[in-house]
Amino acid sequence: MNNIVVFGGSSHPTLVNKICANLGIKSSQIKLGKFSNGETSISIGESVREKDVYVIQSGCGHVNDNFMELLILLNACKTASASRVTAVMPYFCYSRQPDIPYTAKGAPLISKPKESYTFESVPGTPVSSTVTTQKPRSPSDKVNANNNANSIMENMRSPKLQALEQPSPIRISDSGDLHKSPSMSRIPMVPERKENSSELGPLFNANNAGYKLWVAQAGTLIANLLTTAGADHVITMDLHDSQFQGFFDIPVDNLYCKPIAHNYIQYNIPNYQEAVIVSPDAGGAKRAASLADALEISFALIHKEKRSQLPKGPPDASLTSGGGAAVSKKPLISTMSSLALNSQDMKNSSSSSKYVQTTMLVGDVRNKTCIMVDDLVDTSYTITRAAKLLKDQGATKVYALITHGVFSGDALNRVSQSAIDKIIVTNTVPQENTVKFLGKDRVHVLDVSGIFGESIRRIHNGESISMLFEHGW
Amino acid sequence: MASNSIKLLSGNSHPELAEKIAELLGLSLSKIGVYQYSNKETSVTIGESIRDEDCYIIQTGSGQQEINDFLMELLIMIHACKTASARRITAVIPNFPYARQDKKDKSRAPITAKLIANLLETAGCDHVITMDLHASQIQGFFHIPVDNLYAEPSVLNYIRTKTDFQNAILVSPDAGGAKRVASIADKLDLNFALIHKERQKANEVSRMVLVGDVKGKSCLLVDDMADTCGTLVMASDTLFENGAKEVIAVVTHGIFSGSAKEKLGKSKLSRMVCTNTLPVDLQLDIYDEIDISPTLAEAIRRLHNGESVSYLFTHAV
Repeated sequence: MNNIVVFGGSSHPTLVNKICANLGIKSSQIKLGKFSNGETSISIGESVREKDVYVIQSGCGHVNDNFMELLILLNACKTASASRVTAVMPYFCYSRQPDIPYTAKGAPLISKPKESYTFESVPGTPVSSTVTTQKPRSPSDKVNANNNANSIMENMRSPKLQALEQPSPIRISDSGDLHKSPSMSRIPMVPERKENSSELGPLFNANNAGYKLWVAQAGTLIANLLTTAGADHVITMDLHDSQFQGFFDIPVDNLYCKPIAHNYIQYNIPNYQEAVIVSPDAGGAKRAASLADALEISFALIHKEKRSQLPKGPPDASLTSGGGAAVSKKPLISTMSSLALNSQDMKNSSSSSKYVQTTMLVGDVRNKTCIMVDDLVDTSYTITRAAKLLKDQGATKVYALITHGVFSGDALNRVSQSAIDKIIVTNTVPQENTVKFLGKDRVHVLDVSGIFGESIRRIHNGESISMLFEHGW
Repeated sequence: MASNSIKLLSGNSHPELAEKIAELLGLSLSKIGVYQYSNKETSVTIGESIRDEDCYIIQTGSGQQEINDFLMELLIMIHACKTASARRITAVIPNFPYARQDKKDKSRAPITAKLIANLLETAGCDHVITMDLHASQIQGFFHIPVDNLYAEPSVLNYIRTKTDFQNAILVSPDAGGAKRVASIADKLDLNFALIHKERQKANEVSRMVLVGDVKGKSCLLVDDMADTCGTLVMASDTLFENGAKEVIAVVTHGIFSGSAKEKLGKSKLSRMVCTNTLPVDLQLDIYDEIDISPTLAEAIRRLHNGESVSYLFTHAV
């Protein structure tokens, strides 16, 4: 391996070492750190002139810090006359950007924490505890969820939030506490998705806005930033949208986790021939179906739907198709009404704003082992809910096979309380915490360093990497 | 609907400054939500139409933990405006982040300031307004117009009105800032002295030598930024050792990272004055602020109306 230099960012040193071990080289000398003012500082310890440089950085942890570090590294290599610079991003950050929790009205979900939890018994702490306490202006701070619009608005001190309000006579006066402590983060959080709450603060109420809100999609931007920083090539795995590759003007190699998953199921799941592959949402159906095809086993799908009115008959009976297993009626339907902000809203909402959320299973899982397949678990609402549904439908055992286990906020807690018997996740994102939290018996970590090492070797040598898409590693 | 009006958008880095600017312009900030997901990715939501409008995004490079978050916020906001068909997007960055990483001083060192310039352009920025760039050459890193405003007029105002400047001497804490200090000294018709420091590594100063006479004088220590404040505190000690009556530090960008607050609390500095390009949280009696939001607001107004900005280089608003 001449002329190859592999640098690891600070996001995932273990994976870097494993990839280097696979390549039979040492990861190159680099110092990563921060200046006292928070700016990222790097210094490259060896020559990269006319070398083939690979920079490995996963989009996990403090995402923006790690992403800036990657950009600075790429740029430093480029300006230090590297012949080619490849960004290796096992988990591609911002690839799922548009997936903001939406209300039925199309506005992003900025919810108040609920007093009562209907589906998951675990009361989700709003985001990770340390962060939350530091965010005085976060909308999630409204612990006292009362319906008094005035008090809600008073709680929102962020100027941007204020600006989003309908003009109101209430003056939000004090902003003096904004900078009491420099350690306080000044970025409000989007609270975690609470599926059963479509209530909004006054901010994003579609009645008030007069303009259909939209969320910036950072995908193209991220692609362009990488190219600008000097990346000549990108290697990643299981992109949430394969269309993402089209945002780049440089080659993107999207590796698949499927061969590893295939292998794992074949060798580690007893009687896998009798198992069912389940996609926890409609978006991942294709991915799950292709795995089911490869294993020649059956396939089921869970579909979530929000309807603006109560269906006439029993929703499950009329909507379920395919395998025809009746969906249990009990916990799957919930009714909610918009938060009444003022009397007028109250009047409107009482008559029209009823939303019904149905979750239904297409396919038969009774007395079977279920393997849920998804590319990404972040807040884990989707898979924990899906697991419960599968168990309710008589599944004997529920596995979850995940490529990128981000597990942000309260996700691990939720997973540990859920009906998932075993979670299988790759190490594109560090999983030490997951294993520690859930215990070794409940988590299996698949190693992707082999597949990344091999793809780096092949790209370096100018060989085809398409066989990596098919064969197990 | 009238189009091509000013739209002010603020990130999370310095909402107070954005509000002040908005108030001076007689506008309200645009409806925009900048949040973070639980996985720490940034989310930007624009709540009103900005099609064919003149957008100004106010975001400063601050925060020890969040500087990169704010930078990504800025880039995503610019990109969001671009894709929402804004006519022109101007990034108002009072304190330009990574401004000190502007040269390849070691082998393979990154020129991050240049990278930031490229990133801003890639995101879709059409114009940049900034203030007291650490090195004005950074303007050359851009292919788009950069208006580097000066805090100097406001600083002069402050010195004239709030200090005993007839009996003062201006001091530059390092050789690099001599030019800046000399220019202020000229305008006030005062003498100036210089402190030469020997640096062994970044943010650490080993020894200081004073060039000039400060005995019995009130010293105005002028610099473009105060970061860990090691330099400032050592310089003030040096000045007091040389018989200074009082030492007033005047800086543009008050970053005050690390243990700056403790250092300043213990120091003999008579006054610590800085502008509000950054949110400052010192809570010290010696701290005083210069408001530069009028300069930024006037620059935005002039830029929007296509008037010359150069008046602001010499006059405080």
